[in-house]
Amino acid sequence: MKRKIQVVICRVCSQGVPVLDVDKLAKAASEAPYVCSVVTVDYACQSKTISSIVEDAKTKGADRVLVVPCSKNDVSPSLFQAYVRRGKINEFLIETVDLTNEVILPHREDPARAQEKAETRLAAAVARLAALEPLEKHEEPMRTKNLVVVGAGVAGLEAAQVAAGHGLHTILIEKTDRPLKAPGVLLSKSRLVRTKGHGGNFELVIQAGEKQETLECAAIVVASGGDWSEGKGPLTKACKDAMPLFRLKDSVDNGTLPSGPVVIVDTPDPKGSTMKAQDFAWDDALDLAMSTKKASPERDVTLIFQEMRVSGLSELTYREAAQLGIRFIRYDKKNPPTIDKKDLKRLTVRDLAQDEVVSLRFGTLSYASVPANPDNIEIADALRIPIALDGGIRRGSMQRGPVTTPRPGIFVCGSAMFPKTESVARAEGKAAGVLATQFVAPGTVEYGGAVAKVTPEKCSACLTCVRTCPYEAPFIGAAGKAEIREQLCQGCGMCAGICPSKAIEIHNYTDEQLSIETEAYLRGGF
Amino acid sequence: MIVAERKPLDEIAKMIAPYEKVAVIGCRSCVAICLAGGEKEVNMLVSAMRLKNRKDGRKQSLDGFVLERQCEKEWVKEVEEKILDSDIVLSMSCSLGTQTIGDMYPHKIIVPGLNTAIFGVPEEQGVWSEKCLGCGDCIIDTTGGICPIARCAKSMLNGPCGGSSDGHCEVNTDIECAWYAIHERLKLQNRLELMEYVRPPKNWSTSHSGGRRIIVKEDAKLTPHQKRGREVLE
Amino acid sequence: MPERRPKIIGFCCEKHGLDCVTLAARSERQYDASVRLIRVPCTGRVDGMHILQALEDGADVVFVLGCLEKNCYYDTGSIEGRKRVEYVKGMLAETGIEPERVEMFNASSSMAWKFHDIVSSMKDVAERLGPIRPKGGGSE
Repeated sequence: MKRKIQVVICRVCSQGVPVLDVDKLAKAASEAPYVCSVVTVDYACQSKTISSIVEDAKTKGADRVLVVPCSKNDVSPSLFQAYVRRGKINEFLIETVDLTNEVILPHREDPARAQEKAETRLAAAVARLAALEPLEKHEEPMRTKNLVVVGAGVAGLEAAQVAAGHGLHTILIEKTDRPLKAPGVLLSKSRLVRTKGHGGNFELVIQAGEKQETLECAAIVVASGGDWSEGKGPLTKACKDAMPLFRLKDSVDNGTLPSGPVVIVDTPDPKGSTMKAQDFAWDDALDLAMSTKKASPERDVTLIFQEMRVSGLSELTYREAAQLGIRFIRYDKKNPPTIDKKDLKRLTVRDLAQDEVVSLRFGTLSYASVPANPDNIEIADALRIPIALDGGIRRGSMQRGPVTTPRPGIFVCGSAMFPKTESVARAEGKAAGVLATQFVAPGTVEYGGAVAKVTPEKCSACLTCVRTCPYEAPFIGAAGKAEIREQLCQGCGMCAGICPSKAIEIHNYTDEQLSIETEAYLRGGF
Repeated sequence: MIVAERKPLDEIAKMIAPYEKVAVIGCRSCVAICLAGGEKEVNMLVSAMRLKNRKDGRKQSLDGFVLERQCEKEWVKEVEEKILDSDIVLSMSCSLGTQTIGDMYPHKIIVPGLNTAIFGVPEEQGVWSEKCLGCGDCIIDTTGGICPIARCAKSMLNGPCGGSSDGHCEVNTDIECAWYAIHERLKLQNRLELMEYVRPPKNWSTSHSGGRRIIVKEDAKLTPHQKRGREVLE
Repeated sequence: MPERRPKIIGFCCEKHGLDCVTLAARSERQYDASVRLIRVPCTGRVDGMHILQALEDGADVVFVLGCLEKNCYYDTGSIEGRKRVEYVKGMLAETGIEPERVEMFNASSSMAWKFHDIVSSMKDVAERLGPIRPKGGGSE
């Protein structure tokens, strides 16, 4: 491989508010090994500039490019496309260095050190780029445009509705046989048995009534909901007529609520060994406390909780609730609410905020907790997705994927995670439907690129990678050595980090490449 | 598999302190799988030792190598040069590998980097439990497939003892009582009558008590006629 | 001779970790320029070896910055990362080197203040401990 690097420095952007000396930076870059050309341009994102710098790369024979733009997100994608299409440069050999966010903005007040840091940063990036390998991505066509939605509740129906509107073939799997109006196919009295394959090309086995069916689909939305049965715990044991929120709602709506104060606790089992998301006091508890109070303002309404979680703008209702005179009492596990043994309509709890013991007489006791759906275990097993410690379906990172599961192509929405109000469930259903549509729309699954790779001669088949990977990408193949299912590999590199025999490397983040970068940094000035 | 654990680093440092050139040799077999002496661990040990030397101001060169199986001479031969070139060999394998190198190069100083601990089973990632003592005369046919020699603190043949409570061992209450487990297993298999079977005193001569053991598989062993070269002359 | 500056190497995950760095830059607050970041796809990619090697190559302190443990982009990656860091800390303690030189941090993409805290705390450690060298002076 020739390893010739073209460095493109965008003058306007790298200069920022004049902090860096771009000419000095360009000179330092041109002295680095493997660099064959340094181009400084005024606007790297202008179409005229794009063609000239790609041309320069071609004439100088560069096979890899380092772009120093304003920030990675600001680079025009057409620049990269031009490099790949016209410059015949592998997409994995185009790297960017974000000097704006790494150097200029945070070190604006110290231009001398900023300059030094920028030069080292560039040197390290060049050293790393020289060590990279060209990689290929592969495509696999999706065999169907089917979307399977597990659970036809509020969230599930919404997801199906949205996806069907975008032209996906939706198949709803519903445990009960209640009559429903749903787009696409509705399989009543059915459940998931197992899954094979990966995002884009799943193969499901479904138990529909008496018979088992296999079904291919491109994406799956899990909307299994919560367990809307009655909760159990010391409080419901002591107070037999304690009711879950939805029954409290019914009696408020029908006007059949018995007289006397209303107390809503978060969970009937306040001493439970773990704090579950299902046990938080949530939107509906607050809403119901409000509507109860509004219906009869003279009635005392108290909300007793360890944690309270309401979503979005519902937070604004806290103030309104306080103004209405709803009492909030926060407690902790050490002093949970208990019901008086002699007076079964009296509840005692230590208020954390006031640090005093409060004793309340109530007419009605209700609890907010909606246990996790016990079917989640079966569903998670069938789909091979992780389940949270509290029994809900685990979603991906909150900011980067609130309705995705760690497994690509499988989405989750609604109370399957923890209790949601109808409006939130609907919004999440919509989001999941849109994301599933986006996932299926290209009609192909892309895989490969910067993924894990096994050196079979070094592998001891110790199964450490198999047990560590959250995506089940590594397996021990027929040759008795670990192999990677590229379609499942997300390129996180956990396997490479833990392999005791150093038999796995992650493309473009190999041990060698990382240590080259470290060395380059530590050679430079600080 | 054989499960080993890395020795504390200061103990290792003391062993190799007087020498200038250290060859650190790992093994890709059992000790790699139990995350104690594979390539990763060897590299990390070398790196940590270099840092310690810098901190202590000591001049010492350390080089790490990993063999397929350190207990086999053929693999050790591959790094013979490095071994001969060093002042001391720090073996990051089970004691078998350490002794193999030691026996091959008797004039070389070789020290163990690991404590060879047990014949263990990976219960989950990072957890190994002892399930065999290598007594040389397996009796688990009568104990529901659970070895009381290894899993009972007293290696009782006819248990449980009076110290078994709630299914736990009196020696360490975190550990399951082997005989409780045997009882449960036999119950599951409908073979509880085996609990009443009295196992006669065991012949321990097949264990280490009978002296160092050597296993010979005659059909695999090469005859002098089959051997070529040096070994015949020896 | 110019005053010696601390050498801080950070392994930073490309997801929440890098988001946190970008947000810190955009917050217009300045932090010390002695920090150099090495990108990894996920902190689970970090091998104890990388941390030790950075220390060997001359870094005073090394930190690893990843997603929050229950909010990791790669599901369990930052838990793996933490375990590696803890193991290395143990090794350093055994060799008589201050384990504070290596630290794991977690952030989410909305924690703008976090990166400043990380840099200043690591800088404090680096200035307090200085480079790894024999007790009682001597040069690097």
